[in-house]
Amino acid sequence: MAETNGNRARDSRRNFLRNLSVAGSSLLLAGCSDSSSGQSGEKIKVLNQNQELVEVNASDISPASLQADKEYLKKKGRTGVPGRKFVMVVNLAKCKNARQCMKACQGAHQLRPEQHHINVLEMEDEKTKATYYMPKPCQHCDNPNCVTVCPVDATFKRSDGIVLIDNERCIGCRFCIAACPYSARTFNWIEPRDAEKYKDIPYDMELNVPQKKGTVTKCAFSADRVREGKLPYCVSACPNGVYYFGDENEDLVTNGTTRRTVRLSRLLQDNAAYTLMPELGTKPRVYYLPPRLS
Amino acid sequence: MKKLILITIVILPLFVAAQETWVVPETNLEKISPFVFDDDLIKDGEALYENLCISCHGTVRKNNPMVFVPSPGDPASEKFQSQTDGSMFYKINKGRGGMPGFEPTLEEEEIWSLIGYFRSLNKAYIQPEFDYGDEVLSELAMALSYDANVDKLVVKVTSNGEMKSGIKVSAAVKGLFGKYILENEETNETGIAYFNVDRKMPGDEEGNLTVQVRAQEGYSIKKTEQTMQLVEPTVKTDLIAGRHLWSKALKAPIWLIVVFNLIVSCIWGIIIYIIIGLVRLKKVS
Repeated sequence: MAETNGNRARDSRRNFLRNLSVAGSSLLLAGCSDSSSGQSGEKIKVLNQNQELVEVNASDISPASLQADKEYLKKKGRTGVPGRKFVMVVNLAKCKNARQCMKACQGAHQLRPEQHHINVLEMEDEKTKATYYMPKPCQHCDNPNCVTVCPVDATFKRSDGIVLIDNERCIGCRFCIAACPYSARTFNWIEPRDAEKYKDIPYDMELNVPQKKGTVTKCAFSADRVREGKLPYCVSACPNGVYYFGDENEDLVTNGTTRRTVRLSRLLQDNAAYTLMPELGTKPRVYYLPPRLS
Repeated sequence: MKKLILITIVILPLFVAAQETWVVPETNLEKISPFVFDDDLIKDGEALYENLCISCHGTVRKNNPMVFVPSPGDPASEKFQSQTDGSMFYKINKGRGGMPGFEPTLEEEEIWSLIGYFRSLNKAYIQPEFDYGDEVLSELAMALSYDANVDKLVVKVTSNGEMKSGIKVSAAVKGLFGKYILENEETNETGIAYFNVDRKMPGDEEGNLTVQVRAQEGYSIKKTEQTMQLVEPTVKTDLIAGRHLWSKALKAPIWLIVVFNLIVSCIWGIIIYIIIGLVRLKKVS
């Protein structure tokens, strides 16, 4: 008898739970239908993230939350621009050390004056002792050592050739700094510039802003700008026509100053272009046209 | 800083003489552009500005022109924008003191494109309509095709429905950051202009290129953009395909995973073997 009682009790508990779940889901459904029946019927047109015009109910629109923004930025940062392979050509013969590229870059990436994503170095030819200036950004190698050594998948290479850092994953081990033969990476030893001002901005991986103390930072090929079809910050800031930037898949590169578009393959071949430390097999995406020592 | 002061001291006397306001002859004040300030024209103007003007006038909207007397001025500034189009045209054309005259170097259309760019910085500006007077603007129409026999892009232009020679036609391939100009041509008697296209130029998977063609007869301009098959199909490869980036197990080479797991299991095997041996020894003793 006691056993039957027990069974009954269990049955009733099951029933209770079943009833509860039915009630819960019906409440949920009711909630959904409520929101749809509450439409004003008014529709408005908006542009979505893929730049397509879509129609939505006016009542459904609410300001994008910071969290949704964050998720979107995270996904965007990890995905390369489809069908592109970005490439940069630096014409050393034109560089006059105006340093406008460095200024524009530091402004965009929240860097201190002593931190560089791109740095203009003074070089000396071994034999002639003639000097020239060499801007040096991250080389965005096709075979990046930094990506290979990262233990937490914080730095990664995208299908469009850009090597980026996710500073929310970065643990600050600095293996990548040690691995990079071009010294393209810097570490945020102290709080970044204007940390207070950037505090509430959602993290954009393509811009690597806001910068975070204790993480590595480096040139991003202005991934946020090139996605919109605009030239990188440094390229468009140069007053001397040093930089060409473009898409290897199109075989076209555009000069940041003169806006002249030329064939990449021809430019590289005609001017005896070279890459830095080719013997390491890193396959850089930044090409240099030699300085004319005359 | 010292250098800047020195330069200023040297250049200053040049400008003192020209300090009084720049008087533009009245006949030039009312001059307006026969060209419509559209996106293309503005883009051309922007490129010209960044090439020729930025060194003195500074980055637009930043108000950072070179320290000269009189100040070159930021094109986006209120003072600059308060001038008439004609006044700007005259000043760019003729120049004064440190400002060079661009009459010998720039075409009329290029100067208007610069002004178009300046006006694009002023949202309140509405372009005045140009009175073409007796000149009738011809109605241009274009048809693009590819002729495999001559291996050329063929642009057929009609002006008011008729074939005409001497119409300026330029063709360019559209790129992500700019257009790659193929050639500037003129139509022949049959109203056709031919353009060479490098068949080795990469297109998309079907060999399509987007071509932008512009025809001009007098003040009448016609532009068209068309995606057409002009080159061999291109296969695009993925830079991150394959297992060469090691930071994820998914991307690590298979031999590495196999070797790693073998070594780990070997070490564990040895440890377990020793422990079992020790336990046996204890039992025997």
